Amino acid sequence: MFSKGTSRLELPFIMVPVVAVLVAWGFVAVGNAPAELTMGSAHRILYVHVSVAWVGLVAFSLMAVCGLGYLLTSKMKWDHWGQASAEIGWICSTLTLLTGSLWAHFAWGTWWTWDPRLLTSFVLWALFSGYFILRAGVDEPHRRATLGAVLAVIGFADVPLVTMATRWYRGIHPVSPEMDPMMQHALLACALGVSAMMALLLIYRCRQLDLEKQILDLKMDVTDQGGKCHGISRSSLS
Amino acid sequence: MNVLDTAKQVGWLLHKDLVVEYRSRLAWPVMFLLGIIVTIVFSLQTSLPREYLPSTASTMLWLATMFAGLVAIDRTGIAEDQDGCSVGLSLYPLSGSTIYVAKFLVNLCAILVLLGVLVPIFSLVTDLSLAKHVGAMVIVAVTGSAGLAAVGTLVSNLTRDLQQRGAVLSVLLLPLLVPLILAASEATRLIAVDEVGTQWWRWVQLLVAFAIDFATVGIVLSHYLREE
Repeated sequence: MFSKGTSRLELPFIMVPVVAVLVAWGFVAVGNAPAELTMGSAHRILYVHVSVAWVGLVAFSLMAVCGLGYLLTSKMKWDHWGQASAEIGWICSTLTLLTGSLWAHFAWGTWWTWDPRLLTSFVLWALFSGYFILRAGVDEPHRRATLGAVLAVIGFADVPLVTMATRWYRGIHPVSPEMDPMMQHALLACALGVSAMMALLLIYRCRQLDLEKQILDLKMDVTDQGGKCHGISRSSLS
Repeated sequence: MNVLDTAKQVGWLLHKDLVVEYRSRLAWPVMFLLGIIVTIVFSLQTSLPREYLPSTASTMLWLATMFAGLVAIDRTGIAEDQDGCSVGLSLYPLSGSTIYVAKFLVNLCAILVLLGVLVPIFSLVTDLSLAKHVGAMVIVAVTGSAGLAAVGTLVSNLTRDLQQRGAVLSVLLLPLLVPLILAASEATRLIAVDEVGTQWWRWVQLLVAFAIDFATVGIVLSHYLREE
């Protein structure tokens, strides 16, 4: 019990400085990247946009894997990872749409236009917004986990569509444009920083969900014992 | 259990649902009425130049089909949960996949009949010429309906325990149906402009892939959704 508790305390000391360094590196690299010829400094939105879009797609893929894991094993641990991934994915997907819209305003002169990549990204965002609405409507944890897992697997069908939309269908969204080495460095640094930060949030959120479940289980135990709180031991709290 | 037994079970369920609908007439009349109303309302907006008519009208046809089809899809799910029918089904040795296939076929029948009514009405009120390629239009109608029924049945299974079932069904279904609506509209537009060729075939392939993809996912995952 003690060693488990210790490892939980140690994690932030290892991860937080690493994440802080990566995020700082991202900030510095984006700040030092040369200005683009036509868009000027506004092109720096691109670094954040690509980074959050990438993390969003990874989070949704992870969510589908966790969904499959839950359906095959019925272990709540998978559901907690899935839910945490969905929350991170949704935040990143929202940021992708917002930064993309901002970039489009400077690059194309419009906040939104019907392009295959934009459409599939919006569909993905809408689908995973529905994931939370679906989960909110079910009280029983295992039923909620099953429904969430099934939707995660169905929704994953849109991930390859988003990735390949610019290659399969003609649109105005850029496909792997050529970049100055300094710009490539800024993009890599920013992507690493955002990925590290989101990974840390994912781990923390998942732990929080595990703890919530433990508390709920303890409450159930207490209720089963007729509300006698002295039935809780220190070991059961770990 | 062999394939023949499963086919028999699917046949019984299909028969049961069609008889229930024939006796109660709860879903299909509402679906037809909604489809016709949406068609007429949309057609009022089509005073466009001739060159824009095929693309606008074909999209409207599929949107009207989708909105009206939602009524049938929703109703097939609700009917099962009323009067303890789903409990009765769970006592019978039927797999979730068998029930999914039967519901999929019921929804497919409903949407095909709906399209059979809407396409002539749409052609009349929007002056859209689809009669030249009846075979091509039947292919688009069948593949498009199959995709709509496959996704609709799956999402209907997903939302059957929820209190706000209808609203959540629409919220989840509409984003999933975007590729289908785009492909079906584009295939219908190409029929209307008399260009049933390679390009049309690509859209039909997308419709077929969509239907097979979601029907397979539905058959596999329905097993988990039916577990109580």
